[in-house]
Amino acid sequence: MSLQTLTYHKEKKQMKVLVSLSVLLLAVILIALSVGAFGIPMTSIFSMIADGMGISTGSYTQQELRVLTNIRLPRVLLAMLVGGGLGLSGAALQGLFRNPLVEPGLIGVSSGGALFAVIYIVFGASMPLMSSLGKIGLPLFAFLGGLINTFLVYKLASQSGKTDISLLILAGVALNALCGALIGLVIFYADDAALRNFTFWSLGDIGGANWQKVGISFCFLLIPVGMILSQFRSLNALAIGENEAFHMGVNVQLVKYILLFASALIVGTAVSLTGTIGFVGLIVPHLIRLLYGADHKLVLPGSFLLGAILLSVADILARTLMMPAELPIGIITAIIGAPFFIWLIINFKNIRR
Amino acid sequence: MLQARDIHFCIHNRPIVDRATLQLESGELTVILGPNGAGKSSLFKVLSGDSTCKHGSVHYNGKALSDYKSIQLAQVRAVMPQHSSLSFPFTVFEVVELGLLPLGKTFRKELLQEVMVETQTWELKDCLYGNLSGGEKQRVQLARVLVQIWDKRPFPRYLLLDEPTSSMDIALQHHVLSIIQRIKSRNIAVLAILHDLNLAANYADKVILMKNGNILHQGKVNEVMTGPKLQAVFGHPIEVYPGDEFRPTIIQSTPLNRINKQIKHA
Repeated sequence: MSLQTLTYHKEKKQMKVLVSLSVLLLAVILIALSVGAFGIPMTSIFSMIADGMGISTGSYTQQELRVLTNIRLPRVLLAMLVGGGLGLSGAALQGLFRNPLVEPGLIGVSSGGALFAVIYIVFGASMPLMSSLGKIGLPLFAFLGGLINTFLVYKLASQSGKTDISLLILAGVALNALCGALIGLVIFYADDAALRNFTFWSLGDIGGANWQKVGISFCFLLIPVGMILSQFRSLNALAIGENEAFHMGVNVQLVKYILLFASALIVGTAVSLTGTIGFVGLIVPHLIRLLYGADHKLVLPGSFLLGAILLSVADILARTLMMPAELPIGIITAIIGAPFFIWLIINFKNIRR
Repeated sequence: MLQARDIHFCIHNRPIVDRATLQLESGELTVILGPNGAGKSSLFKVLSGDSTCKHGSVHYNGKALSDYKSIQLAQVRAVMPQHSSLSFPFTVFEVVELGLLPLGKTFRKELLQEVMVETQTWELKDCLYGNLSGGEKQRVQLARVLVQIWDKRPFPRYLLLDEPTSSMDIALQHHVLSIIQRIKSRNIAVLAILHDLNLAANYADKVILMKNGNILHQGKVNEVMTGPKLQAVFGHPIEVYPGDEFRPTIIQSTPLNRINKQIKHA
């Protein structure tokens, strides 16, 4: 096989994968819109869409329309955006740290975001400077916390350009413990209103989704997602090594800062909107690599799509398993994710012999 | 021309490279030789731009190393480090393809295949890099590095290799060095750290002998690679049998068990 056909086949294959993942995501979204405590039949959804496009069919009730637009749709979109963001930031962090076991929750990025989010929730109202930030204050603070922990973990675990994975995990454990303790301390000072607010948020579910949250997540995720997606070549080069990437003309320091910044922004936003949802950032890039190879040109967008799919499916399960009650979505992802993580560790052991 | 002047490199205030001055000319293969811990790799890293030295300067084509952006530098010099480990399951083809990175969009379509055939990695192209043997991995890394500077450019360029053949069998070692000999005619200066004295003696144009962070001797092969000089650098009895057009130069190091017997015999 000649070279041209080889690269052509590869690009065609990558395109195929992305298209099929998009189709799958669309199907999952339709199902997610339909099922729940208040079921909306698929036919109603289709006729609503047809109606929206000017073809009047009218075979749905006004109640169905209200539930769909006010409750279901923002929730489904939020799950999709947050899931995609977590999947993508997981892929970026794994590429950056050159290790497939890295996950935003594991290395303390999420807990840093959570700590600062809690600080904002508890003290935000009484501090004029903080409360003046309004609705974007919470994601902004969570981003700050995520960023601080990302840099701390990075500085702690790397020496002369190499990141030691055991140091990385240990630094993550330490930061998680510290942030957990500080969250407890902050809650100690919380008044009743703040406490209620916090409890609602810490359950880590998507139930509180509304159009405002969708808007915030869209605004805050768009730029970092684009930043990460544009770095696929640098991430490929980084996979061989930081020195090697430098030899091939990559501005390694700049790429690192872009990836750390963008990942912290994504995870911080996600945490501030839906609480800490674990394991999505770990499983998703892994599955993509397992199925389709390690080229970041595919891994990055693929991780976004599969992350969106996975969290949407988790949301469907969260809404339907205990109907009419709802499970926090974090429980679902952990139940799927933790065994997967154990399987990974076993696999990792075998590879290293 | 690559000019390095007064390179001084310390780790924890211990000098690893002490006042090294050298220059590399296009069309020449310069080989660095020396015992373990002589500072070869440290000097190499200063030249490649991985390490920055406190004193001294490195100039590529008259421009200081620190004035280059990394992408510009990558268009002037390619580097093959001693070990490269991949963190993700890339195929051989994907690894070699990375060499295109500094070339932007202006590369020939046939470039990759040409280099991969030349380095005997084309038949491995669909294998996962992680599953290869040590020698195969080195060939793949060499291919990646060669892609970076394979096609001619109107300015002199540099190829830096840190023990490029250390895991290869004897036939491949010769094969790789003959590739290097051919590529240097494309206005490229090649610097290689080698351990095999015979390879160095028969392929190099110039040799740099290092010991304890110092460059003891440098110059043309037949001037530098003499029995007494090598013996002083390596601290081991070494004899040199010069070759000619047809026969190779042979460098022989006396095995320790023979030395004892020679002493007894005398």
